[in-house]
Amino acid sequence: MPLGTLDRTPPPFFKQGPSALSKLIVFSALALFLMVADMRFGVADPLRAVVAAMIAPARWLALQPVRLAEGAGDYFQSLSSAQSEQASTRDKLARLALKANQVEELTQENLRLRQMLELRERFGTTAIAAEILFEAADPYTRKVILNKGLGSQIEPGSPVIDEDGVIGQVTRVHPLVSEVTLITDRDQSIPVLNVRTGGRSVAQGDPISQHPGSLELRYMAANADVQVGDLLTTSGVDGVYPPGLPVATVAHVERRTDSAFARIYIEPKAGVSRGRHVMVLKALGEQLPARPPAEETPQPAPRRGARK
Amino acid sequence: MIMRRGKELLLPANPWFIWGSLLAAMLLNMLPLGRQVWMPDLLALVLVFWNVHQPLRIGIATAFAFGLAMDVHQTSLLGQHALAYTALSYFAITIHRRLLWFTVPSQAVQVFPLLAAAHAIEMTIRLAADGSFPGWMRALAPVLEAALWPVMNVLLLAPQRRAPDQDDTRPL
Repeated sequence: MPLGTLDRTPPPFFKQGPSALSKLIVFSALALFLMVADMRFGVADPLRAVVAAMIAPARWLALQPVRLAEGAGDYFQSLSSAQSEQASTRDKLARLALKANQVEELTQENLRLRQMLELRERFGTTAIAAEILFEAADPYTRKVILNKGLGSQIEPGSPVIDEDGVIGQVTRVHPLVSEVTLITDRDQSIPVLNVRTGGRSVAQGDPISQHPGSLELRYMAANADVQVGDLLTTSGVDGVYPPGLPVATVAHVERRTDSAFARIYIEPKAGVSRGRHVMVLKALGEQLPARPPAEETPQPAPRRGARK
Repeated sequence: MIMRRGKELLLPANPWFIWGSLLAAMLLNMLPLGRQVWMPDLLALVLVFWNVHQPLRIGIATAFAFGLAMDVHQTSLLGQHALAYTALSYFAITIHRRLLWFTVPSQAVQVFPLLAAAHAIEMTIRLAADGSFPGWMRALAPVLEAALWPVMNVLLLAPQRRAPDQDDTRPL
């Protein structure tokens, strides 16, 4: 390569552009404005969609090496492990077939009994199969990205399940991908029902950093009937998650004398961080009748630092 | 211009290489390796590097734009990375005249506070926004980034260290 001359024109004397400090102030203000707009008013979504469309090729490209490595790993997997996997899948299928046959009969029976008792029919759910592309790298939240978006009629707020139970809820939908907030996210809560006792409560994600990837049962009295190993399913009272989906099992119960509440840590049932194929259900709320208008109640003073 | 003692004469930087390295760093950041708290932010490091070496080409506006892209990719608060990268870029431009007089290991030591400050800004934003704390392993990220500074110095300056005339004994 021949040695070039100066690779740019010499800097101008008078028109030097804004100083670094003024640029810092302008862009910091812009970033702060964006954060407030994103968090409090939710008006930054169009910008997010535009940037998402711009980085979509880069995202796709970054996904390929990992896909390739996984494909190669699958290819070179040993015969015996493939055979054992197939055997266990067959076994599972046989057991599920038995259950499925019973379900058909029980559904019929349930329908007749409900008609006899004049109860409302249970809601059916429609589901869309999707695949987890990757786990979001943001260390402050717990989210995964699905490979279906607006184009596949995914709607924000839909519950997402895998074969073992609930994994989370769709929180943002882009044209081609959608973001699912996992139930272990700190801001995510899910109403649950203890199958053994029938007690209802609310599970909230990521209680403290000593128990990463777990949930906590909130506001349970210190003498509440909760034992290690209890299965918790969705209770369906929120109008989002259909009732009866497994959520978690109780892993650790801590009863303290100095507190009116017990500390209960629960482990998610579903493969919150390892699953690949998921189903996106339609939120129940869209099938429910309209709510009666709420009565006027005096609002309590907002807590300091509370989220809107 | 005063030449620094022991400084080699470099070829002019190729703008294509600068932008290519920034895009490559963004791609590496986007590799779906899962949620690792201590993961070093390569894009931040490459931005600091070019801010220090080519402040007329890569400035605060570029840092802001790449920050927005990372925000959208990581599904974090829009503006979180943008603010951190803006501040990082400003500090890098502030120290760029001084930094290059030092040896590379000592440059890494001086870049560390900048990178730590960028992570601290992000953490403060998230603590103020929704009180989420990623854990103390996060403190490892700026250390790893600073440790990668000498590597970046070799990789990103390699095209400028080529001989002006290639021959058989010096193929690069």
